[in-house]
Formats: sequence, structure tokens, C-alpha cells
Amino acid sequence: MISRRRFLLLLGASAAMAMMPLQISAKSVKSEAKRRWAMVADIEKCTECMKELIQKTGNKEIKPPCVVACDKENNVPDFEEKAIDPQWIRIAKFKNKFGEEFYAPLLCNHCEHPPCAQVCLTQATFKRSDGIVEVDMHRCIGCRYCMIACPYGSRSYNFRDPREGLKEVNPKVVMRTKGVVEKCTFCVHRVDEAIEKGVEPEPACVEACRINGKNSLVFGDINDPNSKISKILRESIVIQLRSELGTDPHVYYLPKR
Amino acid sequence: MAKDVDFVKVDGSSFGYFAIIAILAFFTAAGLIAHALDRAYHLSDLSNRVPWGIVNAGIPYFIGLSAGSLIVSALSGVFKIERFKAFSRIAAFFAAAYIVAAIMSIVFDIGKLYHFANAVIYFNPTSIFSWNAFFYTSYFVICALYLLAQFEEMERLTRFFACLAVFWAVLVHSGTGAIYSFMYPRELYHSALTPPMFIVCAITSGLGLLIATLYFTFRFTNREIEPKLLRELGLIFAGLTAVLGYMLAVEALEKGYIPAVAPATQFVYLNPYHGIFWSFWLLVVFGIIIPFLIVVYPRTGFDPRFLSLAGILHAAMVMSERFFLIVPGQVYPSEYLPGYEVESLHTLEGYIVSYTPTIFEWLQVIGLLSGVFLAFVVAAKLLPLIPERVVMEK
Repeated sequence: MISRRRFLLLLGASAAMAMMPLQISAKSVKSEAKRRWAMVADIEKCTECMKELIQKTGNKEIKPPCVVACDKENNVPDFEEKAIDPQWIRIAKFKNKFGEEFYAPLLCNHCEHPPCAQVCLTQATFKRSDGIVEVDMHRCIGCRYCMIACPYGSRSYNFRDPREGLKEVNPKVVMRTKGVVEKCTFCVHRVDEAIEKGVEPEPACVEACRINGKNSLVFGDINDPNSKISKILRESIVIQLRSELGTDPHVYYLPKR
Repeated sequence: MAKDVDFVKVDGSSFGYFAIIAILAFFTAAGLIAHALDRAYHLSDLSNRVPWGIVNAGIPYFIGLSAGSLIVSALSGVFKIERFKAFSRIAAFFAAAYIVAAIMSIVFDIGKLYHFANAVIYFNPTSIFSWNAFFYTSYFVICALYLLAQFEEMERLTRFFACLAVFWAVLVHSGTGAIYSFMYPRELYHSALTPPMFIVCAITSGLGLLIATLYFTFRFTNREIEPKLLRELGLIFAGLTAVLGYMLAVEALEKGYIPAVAPATQFVYLNPYHGIFWSFWLLVVFGIIIPFLIVVYPRTGFDPRFLSLAGILHAAMVMSERFFLIVPGQVYPSEYLPGYEVESLHTLEGYIVSYTPTIFEWLQVIGLLSGVFLAFVVAAKLLPLIPERVVMEK
């Protein structure tokens, strides 16, 4: 028979264990509830950039500066086998009925109602109060349910250790391991650092696009009425991918004018 | 009415007994080794476009067998059908063993084994899988208690657990169906019919395999079983197989009716150049039509050997059904922007991709199934699971 003292001890220990997860959750990351980060991609400018690059290099699968910068910044490995090569941002070719081709980047849409977070059984995927959808690598069990749920194919699974496909490592970004799912974070480390310094954040892809002189990608806070992104969204008709699902994606596409 | 049933342990000292143990142990070990190699060197055909394959399909497959076996087992307890009491212990044992195999499928399938406890520690109320983690573990406990109540021959408690177990089996299996069918971003997954279809499929596959298991167990242990009893099970099996066929037809026609999904539907059902087409039609022909005809055709429908064949055929083809449920929604590309063809330059998005399970993936599923039967063969020697004889009173 279990003694009362032992029973109380066990009860206390169980309660302490139940509270543990709250303490080690990545959700404790400081975030700003007032902000809502989003991105706009100008299809016309993206198409111009890609066509120029393809013409110059003759490589139809050339990675433009935004993709190269993202890979480097976020330690996204480069494996030859396309089927298992993780991609945080990739370029897609859209073709209309007349055979006209357009290019645009595909990345995590940081949805308002992210299906990936909805299905994640450990809450490893979660949405911060500023709208950034993140993955806690210490919680992810690698079940890949989120990959099935993501309407935008934005998630990659590490079939191999990412370090095998990296030439150099950026110590500022959490290094993933084999067996977990990863995706674009809107360069959350840059966002948090910029907010702390009181400057405007700029993800690596947006920075590369700007340096390249295209300025196709615009990142910013849509809760700030004076931000550049708010101005674009206010004054233009923009496209959201698969908007019929009601996930309210926060990567917008500015169609060719 | 059946006579009182005496459950007796098997002797388990014959050469045949040890031979069966050796064969099953070999396949179980092969499955474990295949899994270890796959985990270390990525020997599956999974990719970022098809992240769920047949090891994942093993989860609903084994849960289906478990739920089906349990529902059949509980027939005697819930509806007081005395003559079915003869196999209630075997079926309850299989229900518990299959759920372990299902949990092992999850263990095999996940990428981070040492994060597995997170599935239990953290709970996400909006995740169906999260609820199922709770359902699966509690279901195993209920199965074990149900079996225990039977061993102790506690009539009222057995009946209580039988009712609870059936309710839980329906819950567990509907939940498993919902993991896939609530996936609204994938048109080929999304269907309200899947959870009820899972229940029907569970009973047919569980029952099919049970008929074969009963026949072979009684034959190898030189015990007597009433063919009429197997015939009765066979008729329930055939009826529900027809219901399954009906549900599959309704689903296919409904999807084909939607213009947006019609190209995908045509690809799935009418394109013989892809394995998906075969997984569906093999299920229809060898998993539904032939087993149904075997049971209803008088010359074969009363023969336990043919009934067993029908059961095995169907249970094997239900794996095909799981493949059909899980894979098409992944290999067929999603439409990101209606009216525009999309091709990714750096991934395989926008293309129809292939997924052919490798031998290492098959071995993992076969290994788990062998493990279940290995447990049964060992348990038959240690526990009073099998009746001495099952005959009906004249």
C-alpha cells in the first residue's frame, strides 16, 4: 500500500512535470503583439530578374540572389537530389493559357490560420503574436503531418543531416538536425535583432533583392499604416495563393500591371 | 447455442510450433533491421513531395485490423451472441497486439525517435493526431483490461469492457481516418466519408484476417471448429465488403464530378501508367469483388479454406486501400494559382512525382505484422486463448 506521504510526493512531482513544458517552450521568445509581418513579391520585377539571369547563364534552374542569400543566411543545405533537397524559398514558373511565363518566389506564407500549426501534435509549429510561424526543433518529432497540411509545399524534411550539404555555417541561425521539418522563418533572428535595435527589419532575401537592384520583395509591418507594405496593399489588388482555403496567407503577389 | 467453451493453452512442443516461431521471428527481425538501416541511410523512396509512405500507411492499417478484431470480439459481449464467445479472446488479443504494431509504425515513421515522448507530454487540442496519441494508448489499456476480465471469467465486467472497447475502437479508428480526411489543403484527402469508411474497412479487414487465423490455428492445433460459425463470420464479412465497395464508388464519383478535381480524379482512377491506378483497382478486384464472390458462391462459401482465402485476400488488399488513401494526394501536384500551370525550378512542385516503396519499407510493415503473429503464437502457449473445440449444438 502506498503511504500518504509518498502519494503526495508523487502528486507534487507529477504536477511539477506537467508544468515543465511551459518553461522550456520556444514560445517564450519575446515578440511584439502590435506588429504583423508580411511580404509582397512583385511578379513583374521577379520575372524580369529571372529572365535576365536565365539569358545570361543559360541555366533554366538558376538560383537568383534572393534564394542564394536565404540558403547562406539560414544554413539551408544544398543537396544534388531535388527530391530531398530542403528549400526555404524557391522560384516557380507560372504559365498562363497563352503560354506566357511569369516567375515568382514561393516560401512559407506565415498564414493567419496556419494549418501546419493546427495539426502539429506537439505544438512544435506555432504562430508568434507578430504572425511569424516558427518550428521549435527541440519539440518536432519529425512526423511530417505539417508537410501534408501545408497548402504551399513550403516545408522540407531533413532526410539527411543538413551539415552534410553546407559549406559554411551561420552561427546566428539555429542549426537543424536530421529528422526534423524546417521552413522559412521570415529571418526571425534578423527581425528580433532589428526590433531590439529599433530599426526596420529586413530578411536576407529582401536584402539581396534590394542589393541586386530589383526591389521586387517588400517586407514590413502591415499594422503600421505608414509602412511601404501597407501602402502597396492599400493601393493595389494583390494575389494570395490558395486564398479559398481561408488560411489568410501573408505573402502577397503583385500581379503584372 | 454453443456449448460452454473451454479455453486451453497449446502444447507448443512440436517441431512445427518452433518452426513457425523461427519463421515469424526471422521476419520480425528483418523488419527491425530494415528500419535501423532506413533510419541511418534513408533507404525509403520518401521525398519532400511524398513525405508519407507505406510505413505511415501501416498506422491506419494496423489500427484498422485492431479495431475490426475488437469489434468482432465484442459481438459476444455486447450483443450476447454466445456462439461468438469462442473467438472473443483470440480477437481481443489481436486487437491489443495490432495497436502495439500501429504505435510501432508511428515509432518507425517519425524522424526524431528521442523526441517521441513530446507526443505525449505536449498536447495540441486542434491536432487530430494529438488526440489520437491519447486514444491509442488508452485503447491499448482498455483492450488489455477487456482480455484480463475474460481470463478471470468475470461476466459483467467483460460485458462492460466489451461495450467500452467497441465505443473506443470506433473513436480511435474514426480519429485515424480524420487524420487524413480532414486535410482540407489536399483535395484528394479531403472527404467526410473516410472516417465511416475506415470503420467498415476495419471490420472487414479485421474479420477477414480473423477467419483465416481461426481456421489455421484450429487446424494446426488439431482442434475442432464448426464450419458454420466461420460461414456466419464470412457472411458479415461479405456484406460489409459490399458496403465498402459502395462507399468507394460514391467517393470516386463525387470527386470526379467537381471540375477542379476532375483531372486529379482521372489521373488516380484511369491512368494505368501509375501505381496508384493499380492500388485502387487491385483493391476493387482482389479485395472486394473476388472475396465477395467467394463467400456468396455456394460451392466456395461454405468451405473454411476458401473463406480464409477471401479473408486474407481482402486484408492484404486493404493495405492497398491505405496506400490509395495516402499517396495520391501527395504525388498529384496542388494548384497554387487557379488557371496557371506552376513548375518549381528548385523543387518537384508542379510535377506528378512517383513513389515506389522500397524493399526496406515493405520489410518494416511485414516485420510488424510478423511481430503480431509471433506474439500470438507465443501467447497461445502461455495463455488460455484458444478453445478446445467449437461446435454448435444440434
